[in-house]
Amino acid sequence: MILEARAISKEYRRGDTTFFAVDRASLSIAKGEFVCIVGRSGSGKSTLLSMLAGLLTPDAGAVLFDGRDCALLGDEAISRLRNTRLGYIMQGYSVLPNFTVLQNVILPHVLFKREDDPYEKALALLDRVGIRPLADQYPARLSGGELRRVSVARALLPSPDLLLADEPTGDLDAESAAAIMRLFAEIAAAGTAVLMVTHDTEATKGVDRVLTMRSGRLAED
Amino acid sequence: MNGNPRLVFSDIAVCNLKRKPFRAGGLIFLVALLSFVLFGGSLIAFSLFNGTDGLSKRLGADILIVPQGYDQKVEGILLRGEPSAFYMDAEWLGRIADVEGVRAVSPQLLIASLNADCCSMPIQLIGFDRETDFVVEPWIRTALPGALSDGEIVVGGAITGKVGDRLKFFEREYRIAAKMDNTGTGFDASVFMNMDAARRAADDFVAMGGSLTIPADAVSSLIVMVDKDYTADGVSRRMNEDFDYGNSGIVVVSAKKIVNNVSGNLRVLVTFVALLAALLWVLSVAVLAIVFSVMLNERKREFGILRALGITRKRLVKLVFLESGIVSLVGSVAGVFLAALLILPFRSYIHEAVRMPYMQPSIGQFILLVAASLLLSFAVGPLASLLSSRRIRRGDAYAVIREGEL
Repeated sequence: MILEARAISKEYRRGDTTFFAVDRASLSIAKGEFVCIVGRSGSGKSTLLSMLAGLLTPDAGAVLFDGRDCALLGDEAISRLRNTRLGYIMQGYSVLPNFTVLQNVILPHVLFKREDDPYEKALALLDRVGIRPLADQYPARLSGGELRRVSVARALLPSPDLLLADEPTGDLDAESAAAIMRLFAEIAAAGTAVLMVTHDTEATKGVDRVLTMRSGRLAED
Repeated sequence: MNGNPRLVFSDIAVCNLKRKPFRAGGLIFLVALLSFVLFGGSLIAFSLFNGTDGLSKRLGADILIVPQGYDQKVEGILLRGEPSAFYMDAEWLGRIADVEGVRAVSPQLLIASLNADCCSMPIQLIGFDRETDFVVEPWIRTALPGALSDGEIVVGGAITGKVGDRLKFFEREYRIAAKMDNTGTGFDASVFMNMDAARRAADDFVAMGGSLTIPADAVSSLIVMVDKDYTADGVSRRMNEDFDYGNSGIVVVSAKKIVNNVSGNLRVLVTFVALLAALLWVLSVAVLAIVFSVMLNERKREFGILRALGITRKRLVKLVFLESGIVSLVGSVAGVFLAALLILPFRSYIHEAVRMPYMQPSIGQFILLVAASLLLSFAVGPLASLLSSRRIRRGDAYAVIREGEL
């Protein structure tokens, strides 16, 4: 298993009351598997994904990446793991406006020193998501669908073992959404585990497994 | 290609600053203003200290005796190089020498040359008595192998010409036998010659149609050295008592008092500059800290994205310090450069404006001042970022991202 969550929980306070955004959620994903979590807005999907990505510490339970408990890793190790083995597509637009499309894609490469040259690979990824001609443009000139594709290309740059995508087709037209889903399926077929969360049940076609999230609880369909 | 695709870590900071030119420009301006005041103020203060130091070293005498009503003129000669001429009876030489506590006394004869071909400024000719002088003569003995002959002069540092050159005063040529270092005082625009040569220069001036009447055996001033067991103040007081102060026709001026007055004025100026610089420093740190803190709130999502992409907290803090460091560095260098550009070439105007001895620092002192000013103003940015960096170190990355979405 590349990723395993063991009864992880996250509790939040709203006013005088507390509630579980994620309540004892467990799941596991194998290499090359394409898994989708569906659920309504506010059901805890993004919180769950953030805990799986090591961006948020669970109040209870454990997240294991390739057998290592993420809670036991220091900031340097967990950051390196996110940078080199994990692709994370955030909800909304996560492209930095001060950099060109190409610079945005190679950004993960700049955050940790590496020997290899990322430019050819970045251009190939932009080609793969269909926006290579926009490589030198700044994000302000791009449409919502194009911005999303920049995020996808950037997440794939390190050739991750696991791709986490938070509502990757959220505000895309049907054609763009279908293209993204085809790309994810290809990536999964090539050996990368893909975990996607969405509120759109239409987007689950072609995935290996669908999980449903309701009020912080995770259940297999 | 648009922009530099070959991105390195420091480019992230540079790009962030470039894409917010007004904000970055404003911050740089603030640091530049600080370093301008820090460096400019300390450069002027240092020059004034050097000038006062030069005055104290060059003055040599403990007490000056001048004709009544000319005590302000003598300050003008010493501090600002304003040429003047006044005379009193030479019989005072013997009377002053007899006062208890006087170790040595020597006469000086002053002639003002309003236009000499050597110089763009008025020159003070000072005749001194080689037999009794204890200020110029000892220095000349170290600089010259022989004595100063009638046709030779010693010139101050501001007089154009080098040793061996000839200068003409009132149609008579004189050879420069020695040149003093700049002191930042009135001595820089003075020409020293022996008493006989000075009397002959006065005659030359009259022969050229100049209006100057020097009574026979008159002198302009007496310089007095006090015995080591006595104080200059005590001996001055005794002179005033002995010679019926206010009615004698002479005035006793304490050289120490002149230096002290200058030092006192300087202390006020330096205190003002130091207070202004300190205030501006604190203000800069506070303004930058507030701006960085506001920027941090604005940039929560950006920082969250970087965290999601794998930047460590340590490197994120480094990024914040890098940005503030660039702002500080550019501002500090700009401020120091601008201050140097405005102050160094205009030293004579500043000297005139402050009306105090003014002597710019040596190269070594200058480098030290530049380094200290750069260091102090550069520290502003990183110091101001401390608060922001503490906030970055705390909290989950996801919380940062979600807060940034609000």
